[in-house]
Amino acid sequence: MDLLQQNVNLWGDDIPWLAGLREKGRLAFQKTGWPTAKTESWKYSFFKQSELEDFVIRTEPCHNECHGECSCHLSHNLPFEVIEIPFCGGQPDTDHVGLPEGLTVKPLVEAVYDKEAQKYLNKSYDAENFPFAALNTAYLEQGLFIIVERNTRVTKPLLLSYHTHNAQNNWMNIHNIIVLESGAQLTLLEDFQGKDCHYFNNIVNEIFIGGSARLNHYKRVAEAQTAFHIALNSVIVRQKGCYNAFCAQSECRLARNESLILLQQEEASANLNGAYRLYKDGHSDITANIRHLAEKTLSDQFVKGVLDGRSKGVFQGQIHIAPQAQKTEGYQLHRALLLSDDAEVDCKPELEIFADDVKCSHGAASGDLDKEQLFYMQTRGISRDDAKQILIEAYLNESLITVCDEQIRQWLAQVL
Amino acid sequence: MIQTPLLEVKNLYAGVPEKEILKDLSLCINKGEVHALMGPNGAGKSTLSYVLAGKPDYTVTKGSIFFKGKDFLPLKPDERAHLGLFLSMQSPVAIAGVSCSNFLKHAVNAKRKAQNLPELDAAEFLKLLREKAKELNISGDMLKREMNVGFSGGEKKRLEALQMSLLQPDLAILDETDSGLDVDAVRIVAESVNRLRAQDTSLLIITHHIKLLTYLQPDVVHVYNDGHILCSGDMALAQEIENHGYTQFTEAK
Repeated sequence: MDLLQQNVNLWGDDIPWLAGLREKGRLAFQKTGWPTAKTESWKYSFFKQSELEDFVIRTEPCHNECHGECSCHLSHNLPFEVIEIPFCGGQPDTDHVGLPEGLTVKPLVEAVYDKEAQKYLNKSYDAENFPFAALNTAYLEQGLFIIVERNTRVTKPLLLSYHTHNAQNNWMNIHNIIVLESGAQLTLLEDFQGKDCHYFNNIVNEIFIGGSARLNHYKRVAEAQTAFHIALNSVIVRQKGCYNAFCAQSECRLARNESLILLQQEEASANLNGAYRLYKDGHSDITANIRHLAEKTLSDQFVKGVLDGRSKGVFQGQIHIAPQAQKTEGYQLHRALLLSDDAEVDCKPELEIFADDVKCSHGAASGDLDKEQLFYMQTRGISRDDAKQILIEAYLNESLITVCDEQIRQWLAQVL
Repeated sequence: MIQTPLLEVKNLYAGVPEKEILKDLSLCINKGEVHALMGPNGAGKSTLSYVLAGKPDYTVTKGSIFFKGKDFLPLKPDERAHLGLFLSMQSPVAIAGVSCSNFLKHAVNAKRKAQNLPELDAAEFLKLLREKAKELNISGDMLKREMNVGFSGGEKKRLEALQMSLLQPDLAILDETDSGLDVDAVRIVAESVNRLRAQDTSLLIITHHIKLLTYLQPDVVHVYNDGHILCSGDMALAQEIENHGYTQFTEAK
């Protein structure tokens, strides 16, 4: 498949601005090229383009009669109330949703026609550093434009559910713009599920958090076993704003959750926590680049993984502290449990500190289950398998506990 | 009719790959009996308790262990527990991230499952737990804490005693249960052990102090060193050790 020569009819090519943006995406991808072992940020997670032989870029819903009403797309069984936007084969359906005052959710292209999206699209990152985000822009069409007005606190979580079925060899690009005006609060849930097919989800979220605004961004990734999931969360946080994220990833061919966080003004903060659980030969990558650009900014990252079989976990965390970012704190910790000799974890912490009055730490550790704990539990009648399961849950729970809402915590834990 | 012993250990040799620790050990405990095993530091007392519980680090090279007439050696530690063995460890392991009450619920229901009894639901279990915890002076706050994490010596031992009273074993091995306990804690633990004893639970008490034994009044006292029993007697033997030490036994050998 030639990724740039796909014959796709994209909606909105009549808007010169949008056509120009797509062209910029093409050019950026031509520059970056396909990531290889030599691409620094991809050296632990690169894969051959030939794995995507016969893939087609998909812009249509998965089946025509499905407009977000089919049962497979709605999360009826959640124990808490949500505002749900289903994506069908990459296309969001916003027609059947009641929104509270102060919250706007509309298809991205509509927001481009309305001239609302222009000041946000591709403004939070440089596409030349992100090959898949560049491709995403080249085929930009599907996605949402979400805006929470000043001082609006949306009480129900907004759930974006991406359930993929019947999408063999589909490549889906989704680009969401999420804007929280100052003082706004939103809990955003992203739910990726799929089964029985080989597909590629290429997601970009551009997130703008205004002064004293707070976004809780909880994401669970339970894609089909052979699927690819590559996501870039590019976040700009202004004064006293907070980006609080948790990503739970389960087994698939490759799941990469990458975050680019710009803590742009004083006292901006970000928590990037996560957990992943791999059983066979899956690959889970959590990559973050946190840029402290102002005084008294805070970032905290805590990720835990449990790996079995021949699976592979990757944790890359870069903390950059600019010279003006005094009194900044940046913490990073990754811990992994390796249940088999063939499982592998690659960890790359990077600290770039150009200010002198800062507190920073990073740590990484990996190990096996504790034999003494297993024996102790067995002497209490708990079977070895059950004891392992209890210990694994307890292990992952150490990072899950950073999610304050218990129901959402359980929702995340379901995929682990 | 001759009663089948609850535990029958015959000419047992066991150890770790480089070292034989139990050497020709024989021990027989009948239903309802309380045995005390006394011996100096390094005599291999804890090894005996681990071998009985089936710890994978130890290999039995010769001899046999029968429990309720069943060959114990092929059984895993959890299967031995289901048959009615309980080991209260000298240093109970801390398990971060698992609350005491959650752990205890898993343990109680695992045993019930093995006995083909229906598992207890949250409410039923909580009722049972509260009742048993009260007897041991264990607060609800303590049960919410993570298993043995940051527990004092006394709290750990009381938690062991709570597990024992929830699991209702036929034979409980108390390995140095009295170590690290103050006088009041020893009394509380001894009372809980005596409650079990009233239900015909047998006990093997491993200790090198007499204090716990004066509360529990064992039927048989064994002097143990170098992986086997040197001599056996009654409470008078324990008193003699308290007065004159172990050397008279170890040197006489």
